[in-house]
Amino acid sequence: MNPILRLDKVCKRFGGVIAADDVTFSVMPGEIHGLIGPNGAGKSTLMNLISGIYIPDSGSIFLDEKDISNVPSHMRARMGIGRTFQTPRFLQRSSIRDNLLLGTDLANQMGYLKSYFGKKGSNFEEELDRLMKYLDFTFDWEEDINGLAYGQRKQLEIVRSMLTHPKIMLVDEPAAGLNNKEIDDVMALLNFAAKQFGIGVLLIEHSMDMIMNICEDIVVICFGKVIAMGGPSKISCDEAVIEAYLGRDLDASNS
Amino acid sequence: MKKMKSYIKPSSFLIFIALAIFVALVPAVNQGYSMMILNLGLIYSIATYGLSVMLGLGGQLSFAAVSFMGLGAYFTANLCSGRLGFWVDTSLTLVLVLIISTVVAFLIGMILFRLSGTYFTFGTIGLVQVTWSFYLSYKPLFGGPDGISNVATLRIFGWSPVDYNQWFYVLVVIVLIVAILVERIRRSQLGRSLSAIRDNEIAAQTLGINVYMTKVIAFTIAGVLAALAGSLYAMHSQFVSSDMFTFERATSYIIMAMLGGVNNTFGVFVGSVLVTMLPEWLRGMQRYLQLIYGVGVILLMVFMPMGLAGLAGNFGKSIKRKLRSAAVKNAPAEKEDAK
Repeated sequence: MNPILRLDKVCKRFGGVIAADDVTFSVMPGEIHGLIGPNGAGKSTLMNLISGIYIPDSGSIFLDEKDISNVPSHMRARMGIGRTFQTPRFLQRSSIRDNLLLGTDLANQMGYLKSYFGKKGSNFEEELDRLMKYLDFTFDWEEDINGLAYGQRKQLEIVRSMLTHPKIMLVDEPAAGLNNKEIDDVMALLNFAAKQFGIGVLLIEHSMDMIMNICEDIVVICFGKVIAMGGPSKISCDEAVIEAYLGRDLDASNS
Repeated sequence: MKKMKSYIKPSSFLIFIALAIFVALVPAVNQGYSMMILNLGLIYSIATYGLSVMLGLGGQLSFAAVSFMGLGAYFTANLCSGRLGFWVDTSLTLVLVLIISTVVAFLIGMILFRLSGTYFTFGTIGLVQVTWSFYLSYKPLFGGPDGISNVATLRIFGWSPVDYNQWFYVLVVIVLIVAILVERIRRSQLGRSLSAIRDNEIAAQTLGINVYMTKVIAFTIAGVLAALAGSLYAMHSQFVSSDMFTFERATSYIIMAMLGGVNNTFGVFVGSVLVTMLPEWLRGMQRYLQLIYGVGVILLMVFMPMGLAGLAGNFGKSIKRKLRSAAVKNAPAEKEDAK
């Protein structure tokens, strides 16, 4: 089986700052793959490189073995890359329904003309109901998106991304700002996406609980470089990883 | 999960009733000169609808409406006044205006949207100045400072409006069609994509929206509607001159949109009519008109940025809230709705 996403020696620098240095890893379909590292390591930059907001200086990115390194970001979205953001990006002045319909628009890809003449796409309400079963809150469609709490908006962003029927979802720190119950709900939702639909998930997270519980494979980034790759048990014992997160005991190494 | 509300809201019904009354009563009380002014308000609203697609939905501030109005107006004036040596039927001219403005607006949009944000806005200002200087000075096509007169009036299937009252009915029908078209855009994928571009361009890209082309499409729609307004203007007033297409005129369309509520289909109509009629109603205070206008715009932005429609919407929401709390007080035994 081919990896759904493959990075091959991807490099990106911004002036003097090397954000990505020879990064190579892959994500299989239906797999939840963790992307961890200390703050400023370059995780969000990698997400931006994969979704096309940045173009790599060198190296290649493959979606289902198709080279997308130079494909513009809106085309990558149409090819099946879904994305959520650290701070949810919604339409501030629109209803929740319109916000979520944006997701279905991408899944349907029927173009402006057909949509104008009322051609109906996938069954939006049914799908949404099914997804919302995993989450613990309800809402009124016509309400402003601002009426929802931060945690609810974060969860809704994942729902919107799933409505786009992606092949791979890039999920950026979903647990930040959520309480424990909500984190459990998100984990169930991501598992549902991966196991039921075969969606690959690349997950940036700082919450080790979530990472260790849900990820089959993890890649660790520090200062733009991959410093470790493997399953949860291997990563939690890896010296380089421990040093990156917890630091090295200088006294111990000197004595 | 609550079911999605159906399309027909009570407010739409109210609007329909208000419109019916408006159309029935107005010709009775209005004639001649003031009817002409009202007709102009209707014509301008067509251009303002185009502007609401660009600015309200797409969040792109464009002054280009007057350039395209001029395109429609002068094209019509040249073909329908015989000054080039031949006459073209006015209905055919309308169709030609629509076709040509689509092409021109598309091309200019493709160029202008190489710029983004404020730079795009300055691009449109530049466009307005360029077109206006042509409209003012190039005699062969635009009649120079004297403009073009003797433009034929609209003729459909052998019928022409004989006075401003009959023009009123024609324009109401056209404005209604345009309003419905624009409202449908708002509810379609194009409307949502434009709102996404307005509120969060990066997120829009990651949602598969081709930001550049979508902006160009919106610009084209705005341009076509403005050209249509220009063409109707030429046929209604039977005279076209360049002072209709100045930068100052361009700002008045933006104020029309903002006054009514740039994102509300009914509001655009109300705003256009009000801004056009106000100078007439305030005739007595001619000297203070500019002052009133200026102060009014400032107050509008501070207290009613969502325009009259926003005001009405807030009013409706506070009434709903009061009704809801009254219902809760009167029935404490009932289970409260889960939020």
